[in-house]
Amino acid sequence: MSLEAPSREPLELLTTHDRTLDAPDKSNRLSSTKTGGKMVADYWENIFTAKERGKHVVWYNGTALNPIFQAAGLEWCHGEAFSARLAAMHLEGPAQAAGEEYGYIGELCSYARTHLGCAVMTQKGITEKQNGIVGMVDQEELASKLPSPDFFVNAYAGCSTGQQWDAMTYRVFGKEFPIFNVSLPMIWGNKKDAGYLRGSEWEKTPLYVEEQLKKLIEFIEYQTKKTFDWDALSENMYYIKRASELRLEAMALCAAAPTPATYWDWVASIAPINFMPANQALVDYFQGVKDEIQYRLDNKISAVQNEKYRVYFDGIMNWNKLGWLTRKFAEYDVAVVAGRYTHDSFWQEPQLIDLDRPLLGMAQHYLICPINHGLKIMEELLIKRCDEYGIDGIAFHSTRTCRAMTNPQHILARTAETERGIKSFFFEGDVADAAFYKDESLESGLVAMLESIDQQRARALV
Amino acid sequence: MQNLDSAAFATLGAAAADPVAYAQSWKARNGRPVIGSFPMNFPSELTHATGALPVIIQESRTTITEGRSLLPEFYCSYTRSLADQAAIGELDVFDAFVLADHCVQLLGAVDVIRWAKPEIPTHFAQFISSMDDPWSQGQVIDKIGSLRAEVEEIVGTVVTAEALSRSIRLFNENRRLLREFYDLRKSGRVRITASQMQTLVKSSMVMDIQEHSALLRDILGALEPEARENGQTAPDSLVRIHLSGHFCAPPRPELLDVIEECGALVVNDDLYHGFRYISTDVPEDVDPFDALALWYLDRNISAPCGTRVQRNVDWDSYLISSLEDSGSDGVITLMAKFCEPLMLYYPELKKALDGRDIPVLLIETEHEGVAEESVRTRVETFVERIRRNKTAVPSLT
Repeated sequence: MSLEAPSREPLELLTTHDRTLDAPDKSNRLSSTKTGGKMVADYWENIFTAKERGKHVVWYNGTALNPIFQAAGLEWCHGEAFSARLAAMHLEGPAQAAGEEYGYIGELCSYARTHLGCAVMTQKGITEKQNGIVGMVDQEELASKLPSPDFFVNAYAGCSTGQQWDAMTYRVFGKEFPIFNVSLPMIWGNKKDAGYLRGSEWEKTPLYVEEQLKKLIEFIEYQTKKTFDWDALSENMYYIKRASELRLEAMALCAAAPTPATYWDWVASIAPINFMPANQALVDYFQGVKDEIQYRLDNKISAVQNEKYRVYFDGIMNWNKLGWLTRKFAEYDVAVVAGRYTHDSFWQEPQLIDLDRPLLGMAQHYLICPINHGLKIMEELLIKRCDEYGIDGIAFHSTRTCRAMTNPQHILARTAETERGIKSFFFEGDVADAAFYKDESLESGLVAMLESIDQQRARALV
Repeated sequence: MQNLDSAAFATLGAAAADPVAYAQSWKARNGRPVIGSFPMNFPSELTHATGALPVIIQESRTTITEGRSLLPEFYCSYTRSLADQAAIGELDVFDAFVLADHCVQLLGAVDVIRWAKPEIPTHFAQFISSMDDPWSQGQVIDKIGSLRAEVEEIVGTVVTAEALSRSIRLFNENRRLLREFYDLRKSGRVRITASQMQTLVKSSMVMDIQEHSALLRDILGALEPEARENGQTAPDSLVRIHLSGHFCAPPRPELLDVIEECGALVVNDDLYHGFRYISTDVPEDVDPFDALALWYLDRNISAPCGTRVQRNVDWDSYLISSLEDSGSDGVITLMAKFCEPLMLYYPELKKALDGRDIPVLLIETEHEGVAEESVRTRVETFVERIRRNKTAVPSLT
């Protein structure tokens, strides 16, 4: 009997952050989105100096109120956007540690936890400045660079945590800065006539929100001591509308197989459409994206080498893993072509925007946030997207701390299977907390789903 | 001190332990519909005024099986239990479901119920959760109107102002009786354990309100008059504790018993299956439909809640004041795992308590229960720490 220990390869213990996939990169990301990356970086650098420039700063969460803030001459800090940025840059640690030290539990929404951590750090900076202590908070730490707010605005659709989160940020700052809440009711779909953009509930609810937006503008006028520039708002919405139209036209081009761009390219374009200043540069950005996609189509350049499977992504983005997931799916010849987070969000119905009555179209968009619908509407949208993009399978990102986006996923999976025979799998991860990502769960689920699709295709040939 | 122990209390205990069996029995006896509502702000008076039995649907003790494939595991135990109950048929007794609260996890569970039970009407009238905006009251009045229309359609009757006023009076009386038990416990004249108090309150959420009030009167009547007036107080060796948190579903009675077995005497709480539920009466001197809206808005002032936002109302300052009133030595916060409103508010509560050197212990709860010995050790240490502080020897300096 041999007593020699069996030899084993050492376990791979590095995190996905520090690892590189062995397989060659088969993804082919758009180059035009790099312009967006620079726009966003410049935007935040500008925000960090807002106080030095004597600007009023608003902290807000949830829906895209930025056209209003821009028209009022404010500088705006979107909480989730900043949390996402920190996570995408793998710089979320200090903010999350500050939040944890303050008492926030690790199962709390990681967007909220990260942003509240930033608030704790910013507040600490204010206190130390008032006490004559300089440098206790490391100003070089990105998470501590947010300028303190002059006031808060909350307008969160779908997720109840969103409103409570800002109520806590308000308290972290000792209630020193005023807060305004816009209440966005869920489009629940009680009535028989309910559906996406239709029914009595849909007709009535935006009017209620529009009235609140008018009150918000009165609040901003009071805070800034300036008359609101309604013409500027219409102008902003003109740019938003045009940028949105171009974005949707570009997305529609991706119905082609193989697709010229993927979901990951649309993820890279979220920040521009969600909170960048509304101006010609924004329109130019989406024109550039559309042009590149059209060029790829004309020249038969695909976004994934050897596209074999077309997948829909349901769930909020895992910001820590954007690059990793792009390569991972491509490695298996999977083109992730569309997703709930990218395709059913962010000014996705530009025809609703009336430049003569901009607040109504804005209110309508706030209500069609993809987490603000009841199940019936979500099922309708999922099937619509699957048909539009010729979807073979669905990747459900079971986003640990985002209860809003994971809400109906199990039933959506059943609906896709029942209605269209579309296979799916779930993998675990999170928006801004890398600790919850499980690479093995993604890989085994993905492989199993692709095998099911292969069998389905083989059966269809018989 | 006197103890609660009577046939009347046993009846309440049976209803609290198995609300579905009670509802089935009530339905068989009365031949009228049973309407289920969800926590924490639906006005049961409105359903009662139709002649139906209003029942606040409870977390089931059944192990979650089917529900695991309908809602993610990182949802709170109450919502996962709801999904499970829908899937395995435990909710079949209900003729309709109604709710007014916007909690993202709760709505997920109710969506599962709508999907699993499409034949049962489900109506959601979302009460605004920002309580102090100029439009808050109008919005709630509008939603009360919408709920009224829905319950009228479900039951096939018209809710008159007279019927609603009568229901309001009955529920106010029930809350008043329950608050009397709170006063007796707080003053130490009657020994009411935390799990007994939960039974008193929980049974009121699921039983016919007149029957419940009659049983409460029986229990109160059975207490010796002198005890009610001049009963002995609890021994000083017991540490007076306030239980805080735990929205929507009750903490397990076994957990409450363990806490009290460790030398704690629970003297007050702000639990939903506790004082939060009975804190506020519906005004009786205004239009009864408007009164329900006022009640909703008043509740967050009487017992502030982390699920609502209101600039001039703070749960932490309410908690401090409540501790002073009950003479509590410390706070045990019970948090259902994954409950986001409580996860968000807890640091503010802790900050306020720490600022006043009031000891606080956080215990997370789960559907499957928690390890008893681990809780016992933590609570015993917590109680001992308070005892030592109370008897601290003054320093020579």
